[in-house]
Amino acid sequence: MKYDKNSGITDRLRLNKKVAPYVFISPFFILFLIFGLFPILYSFFLSFNSWDGIGQMSFVGLDNYAYILTDDWFWDSVRSTIIIFVLTTIPQHLFALTLAFILNSTFVKFKDFFRTSYFLPYITSAVAIAIIFDVLLGHRSGLINAFLIWANQLPPVEFLFQTFNFDLPARWLGEPRLIRFSIAGLLTWRFTGWNMLIYFAGLQTIPKSLYEAARVDGASIRQVFTKITLPLLKPVIFFGVTMSIIGNLQLFEEPFVLVGADGGTGRAGMTTAMYLFRTGFHWRQFGEGSAMAYVLCIFIIILSLVNKKLFSGGGLNELRQ
Amino acid sequence: MNYGNKLESNTQQKAINIIKKVILYSFLVAGVIVTFVPFLYMFLLATRSRAEIFSSIFSLAPGQSFMDNYQILISNVPIWRNLFNSIFISTTATILTVFFCSLGGYGFSKYNFKFKDTLFFSMLATMMIPGLLSIIPWFIMMNFFGWIDTFYPMIIPGIANPFGIFLMTQFMNTIPYDVIDAARIDGCGEFEIFLRIILPMSKSGIGALSVLTFLGSWNVLMQPLLILQSRHMWTLPVALTRLADQAGIDHGAAMVGVIIAIAPILIAYMIGSKSILKGVMEGATKG
Amino acid sequence: MFSRKSLLLTVMAFVMAASLLLGGSPEIMAEDVTTITVAAFPDQDSGFEAILDDFHEKHPHIRVELEVADFDDHHQTLLTRIAAGSNVPDVANVEIAFVGDFVNRGGFENLTAEPYNAGRFEEDIIGYKWAQGTNDDTGNLIAMPLDISPGTMFYRRDRLDELGVDIDDLNTMEDWIEVGEEFVAEGDDRWLFADAASVYEMIRRSGDHQFFDDDGEPIITSDKFVRAFEMAKEVRDRGLDGQIGEWSNEWFSTFEEGTALVHTSGAWLGGHIQNWMAPETAGKWGVTNLPDDMYINWGGSFVAIPEDAENKEEAWEFIKYVTTNVEPQIKQFEAANIFPSLLDAFDDDIFEVSSDFYGGQNVRELWLDAARQIPEVNTNRYDNIAEDIVGDALTEVLEEDKDIMQALEDAEELLRRRMR
Repeated sequence: MKYDKNSGITDRLRLNKKVAPYVFISPFFILFLIFGLFPILYSFFLSFNSWDGIGQMSFVGLDNYAYILTDDWFWDSVRSTIIIFVLTTIPQHLFALTLAFILNSTFVKFKDFFRTSYFLPYITSAVAIAIIFDVLLGHRSGLINAFLIWANQLPPVEFLFQTFNFDLPARWLGEPRLIRFSIAGLLTWRFTGWNMLIYFAGLQTIPKSLYEAARVDGASIRQVFTKITLPLLKPVIFFGVTMSIIGNLQLFEEPFVLVGADGGTGRAGMTTAMYLFRTGFHWRQFGEGSAMAYVLCIFIIILSLVNKKLFSGGGLNELRQ
Repeated sequence: MNYGNKLESNTQQKAINIIKKVILYSFLVAGVIVTFVPFLYMFLLATRSRAEIFSSIFSLAPGQSFMDNYQILISNVPIWRNLFNSIFISTTATILTVFFCSLGGYGFSKYNFKFKDTLFFSMLATMMIPGLLSIIPWFIMMNFFGWIDTFYPMIIPGIANPFGIFLMTQFMNTIPYDVIDAARIDGCGEFEIFLRIILPMSKSGIGALSVLTFLGSWNVLMQPLLILQSRHMWTLPVALTRLADQAGIDHGAAMVGVIIAIAPILIAYMIGSKSILKGVMEGATKG
Repeated sequence: MFSRKSLLLTVMAFVMAASLLLGGSPEIMAEDVTTITVAAFPDQDSGFEAILDDFHEKHPHIRVELEVADFDDHHQTLLTRIAAGSNVPDVANVEIAFVGDFVNRGGFENLTAEPYNAGRFEEDIIGYKWAQGTNDDTGNLIAMPLDISPGTMFYRRDRLDELGVDIDDLNTMEDWIEVGEEFVAEGDDRWLFADAASVYEMIRRSGDHQFFDDDGEPIITSDKFVRAFEMAKEVRDRGLDGQIGEWSNEWFSTFEEGTALVHTSGAWLGGHIQNWMAPETAGKWGVTNLPDDMYINWGGSFVAIPEDAENKEEAWEFIKYVTTNVEPQIKQFEAANIFPSLLDAFDDDIFEVSSDFYGGQNVRELWLDAARQIPEVNTNRYDNIAEDIVGDALTEVLEEDKDIMQALEDAEELLRRRMR
């Protein structure tokens, strides 16, 4: 290694071993103070004020919170957010777990191909995907309706549609009930691969010897899955679901592009994040928007805690003990 | 099901196994089809005029209107400029973020100092804060800095990435101390050790974090939607959103835009899918 | 080691080059020509484009650069830029739904004051339009009236002929519903309206108040809104609409294919149909007045100068040119059905010419007559929020069968809460 020990710049920049770590971690903390912590505190301050960003700011006490908590649109948005969350999280994780489990079994070939394929939707931009789905879900020009109309010629399908009173062509992006399914469908399509990958990574950490031992004991696939795989995957499931909670409760981009800034018919696709965006940046009510952000934050914390209760424990460590 | 039953003949078991495999494979293949259809459809639609989109929904034959659609697209948005902006922002953000996260990760991983644990956990705690919480004041701040319609807001604040530091700390924990001690004896300064020894040894961590940061930066919509006002400053997601909002834009033209937005990522993915998947998996399991 | 070092250098060079680029490209200007930016939304941009050559010829020291964004985006980013005081256009085009908000919020030049002295043009421009552009408190003119838009109905002449119905027999909503039922009965994909909501959009604009009375109190639960909701609901319940949202690709195809018998809108829609939505349907269209003797203003816009604009003097030159001269006012009308708000323009010969696109009908005269009968309408700074909220209430009625009175009362309460 050749460098000049006495070169001025190196000398002056030479860090003391005691000081060095502080210097190394300080960029994060400095930037975080400016761009992270300060806005959060400022948001708290704003939530007690009324301001449109141009005129005078006025202190309104708890009015903004009172307003949010008695606002029908806010609760509608919370309902939509949670319905979409449930509609997408459950199939997402079920599919992901199943796919990962199959891919992890020894006999499957082309593992890389399958994994790469499933993960593809995740890397593409939400906006681009939403535009594609907008066309796929079109009322009269959409592929999905065309497919369903074709399938409707088959008697069992026709019977099914009639039983559920499902009219074709369906207004996937026009009818409130269907809007949420459409958004959830898009999310499921986009994030199943990501969850699959996480589960797959988790499965890989389970020692093969455990499976072999189970096989020797004559356990069926189902038993292996419920007795070994699931308990050991608990921490991974916890991680995956936590990510889903944090991501979905702040859901914005997909519905924003798919049904528009106003959330579509009956605001069925207006998530809380979109309502916050609309309140803050469309109507310029910064105070209410900030209060809404705090209320939403509390919801996320509560849900995360519930999730923690459900999935805490398990994993390899526990098994070893 | 009792597979251990000795009365079952071998052939029967084989048949069951084959059926099982067929079912499992069809599940896997169905997943692949569902994944690919929207992409396939995207390419098809990009070649069709508005009338063709309505008339030939099922047809797999490409239409004649790709160039027309492209013309409509570029007369509506400066898509190549937007592509450049996206590449520029994502690359810059990734380089800076990865550099400073590695630096921070090194600090946390390889030094003992006062308040280390407190600082580390308070940093981890910031990961739990939903980004939406600060979006309104964040916007007001950017306004105050005069950063509206500039790229800074998409690059600078993201450098403070607690997940990135955490990830790099985890990776650097695996680097043995004696390498660093040896360098110190050689007379290396602390920063030089980081640059010349630690960084090269953290390639896989850097790779993982780079992929995650780049993807995140490439796809983000809300912040650039608020900040980037003039069309030549838009990133691809903003351009596509504006395009989709635009009254009367043809589906075909929008699809050409979507292809331009997706293609670079798609190509990168085809080339480096192995390391990307590895990166994401390591990022997820370490995190 | 060398390669790593050079890599680092490359990166640093890249970052530095980057920081130069970050702020966006600087404007390159010719020496004595001032470039002004004019921010507009479609189809007003077509109007501006039509007059730019003339303007440049008359004002060689000014170059106009048009900045066009989608309707909602245009108004929202405009607000953001005004608030930020950065990157503001020199001339801002503001539509009527937003004008109440914009003139009462601040951030724009007072055009009544020096050096503009816009007051001298007050008598030349349609009265109510002038009032809409003034600030409620100060009475100062903030937004200069650019165009108005008489509400009108575009119907498919060919379809009506097939039905054997004479347009002169259709005078009330009830008449239209009757003929709509005949049309819908003819087969699949046949509707009276693309979207029942347009019935509401038409009726809610009638009368001399929109959402608020003169004291700024909401009038959402008044008879007008009840009737607007009831008619929209009736159209929906009778299956007379295609449930196709405006400005969607499916909506455009109703124009091309003539699947919707009639479209209610401002006269400006004609420009859209003719220019790009369905140019090949020329000759198949007719225009008639709204039913029930409604004469309404549907659309129209203003131009204003942001306080932070860089070239106010040149901006004002441009505004004066387009708003107070007959020639550009008429040219805009010709190009994109942007109806003049300048009274002198009403006497122009153009109103005596019939149009091939409408099967030889003289639609301009019809619009002119309608324009003269539009009552004065007030605006309010909460107009656009009211539009959001009441429009939403309508979807609840149409899609979820909510009781009309209940929906309107809820909407009024929501609106009042937003206004605090």
